[in-house]
Amino acid sequence: MMDPPKSNRPNALWLMSRFAPHLALFGVLIIIWELLVRTGVITTIMIPKPSSIGASIIDLYFVSGTIWPHFFITLTEAVLGFCIGAAIAIALAVGSSLSDPFRRYVMPYAIVMNVTPGIALTPVIIAWFGFGMGSKIALAAVISFFPIFVNTLTGLMQVDNEREELFTSLGANRFQIFTRLRVPAALPLLFAGLKIGLTTALIGAVVAEFAQATAGVGVLMNRFSFQLNMGASLATLLSMTLIGLILFYSMEFLDDRLVFWRREERREAVSRKRARAWKRRAETSGRTR
Amino acid sequence: MADTVAQSTMNQRAGMSLRTRRILTHAGIFALLLLAWEIGSRTGLLDPLFYPRPTDILASFWRVYVTQGNIWFHLYASLGLVLAGFVAGSIMGIGLGALVGFNPLVRRFIKPYVIVLEATPRIAVAPLLIAALGFGAQSKIAIIMLVCFFAPFINTLSGVVNVNEEKLELFKSLGASKMQTLRKLVLPEAVPVIMAGERLALTAALSGVLVAEFIQRDQGIGSLILTYTRNLNMASAFACIFTLTIIGFLIFRFMEWLDHRIAFWNHEDGLNRNAQKRQARWSKKLATA
Repeated sequence: MMDPPKSNRPNALWLMSRFAPHLALFGVLIIIWELLVRTGVITTIMIPKPSSIGASIIDLYFVSGTIWPHFFITLTEAVLGFCIGAAIAIALAVGSSLSDPFRRYVMPYAIVMNVTPGIALTPVIIAWFGFGMGSKIALAAVISFFPIFVNTLTGLMQVDNEREELFTSLGANRFQIFTRLRVPAALPLLFAGLKIGLTTALIGAVVAEFAQATAGVGVLMNRFSFQLNMGASLATLLSMTLIGLILFYSMEFLDDRLVFWRREERREAVSRKRARAWKRRAETSGRTR
Repeated sequence: MADTVAQSTMNQRAGMSLRTRRILTHAGIFALLLLAWEIGSRTGLLDPLFYPRPTDILASFWRVYVTQGNIWFHLYASLGLVLAGFVAGSIMGIGLGALVGFNPLVRRFIKPYVIVLEATPRIAVAPLLIAALGFGAQSKIAIIMLVCFFAPFINTLSGVVNVNEEKLELFKSLGASKMQTLRKLVLPEAVPVIMAGERLALTAALSGVLVAEFIQRDQGIGSLILTYTRNLNMASAFACIFTLTIIGFLIFRFMEWLDHRIAFWNHEDGLNRNAQKRQARWSKKLATA
């Protein structure tokens, strides 16, 4: 490969020196916490011992594996709901950015949807879509809709007039202006909206599970906390953090790949790759001629 | 001069008529939608048990507000909690955000925890808090506090940290004291960001109280919605949900107003208002002198 050697690649020693203080602080905090609970300063019902949380984590994730079916159900609900919400939001935003009357007709309803706390719809959505996964997906879609819609629309509406003039003077048609100018300009904002939407979709799925469900991380958590099994309850909470992190970082990865021009290194890498591809194409076409 | 004035008023009048026309078309479309819904429900296309008729919802509004009047009690209960949780949570958020923001060491050590906490859906902690603090107002307020804590915290942190470097350099080179830098540079840049966080927090508080009441169904608008839905009294449930829409809208408007008052330098009208006030004060001072 032609990748330049990275001069500042972090080595093990550097990593150690960087993370050691954090780990030490974390360890000290955990020990203080454990001692506080053991000596009875904090009651176990309020806040469980770190060791019992650890034991629950080992049990739930590795020994019995109780959490995994619930984990994947919640993950699926959040992702499917997010995809539906995002598809509708992006479609409506694109339509609104292309046509003024359409925007005027869509906006009031979108705003009404935004000022209504989407969570208030939980019982109604459960009545409509049943106790299964459908209602969770629907609530996730409803809740994640607005941030994506608003960000996409804002992104598509902010046009650099000079650039648009350049495009028209070079004879670009409306479709080209849209795909080559507006969409790339909107992508960073769109991704910001998608990231917010993804987190809210997870919230929607979990809240719907709290309200009424048969499976999912929310159900598990409700059950454990009603049993006052706080260690297991916190271990379950951690799985939601895990889902949140997985979702967030996969979106971040996608953002980095698609909006490659925002980060210097990525931009250079992509332009190098394109240069190589063009050179190759020029060579082959020269040969055939 | 007079010509342009006449033209602008004419434009304004034309704009007004266009605006009223637009409002009329919007209202017409809205009425048509409602009519279609009503007819669909009456002809049996939509099951009125699940999809209540607009007229039924109106009748329910009348019933829950006037003849039965049972919504008031729940509304007061919920809004009181929202207010208490919001004030406590946002004060904590701003305070801790400032503390962390001004102290680089604390910032470095707290960052990983913030990332983890940010990925966790905050509302998911609700069952835990209810188990820990027991049924009653205190656990609900704790949930709302937690939900309200984050946006102000993060925004205060980033507002304080992301001060324009060049301006800071200028302040230093001109020998500004710490207090002066804070008052004249950091706060003016941070306050609009903090206000944006507060806006998010108040909206989140409304969702937070609903989730708390879905789990702990004793009183409040959330439990009312849940009860109505369970009894398949969907029209009344929708009356409650539209009440929340109105509250959400009022909250939105109130926060906007507050933003224009507090962070007045960020908005044209606030700037003008303040300039006029100052001018009046100075001219009065000048006159007495």
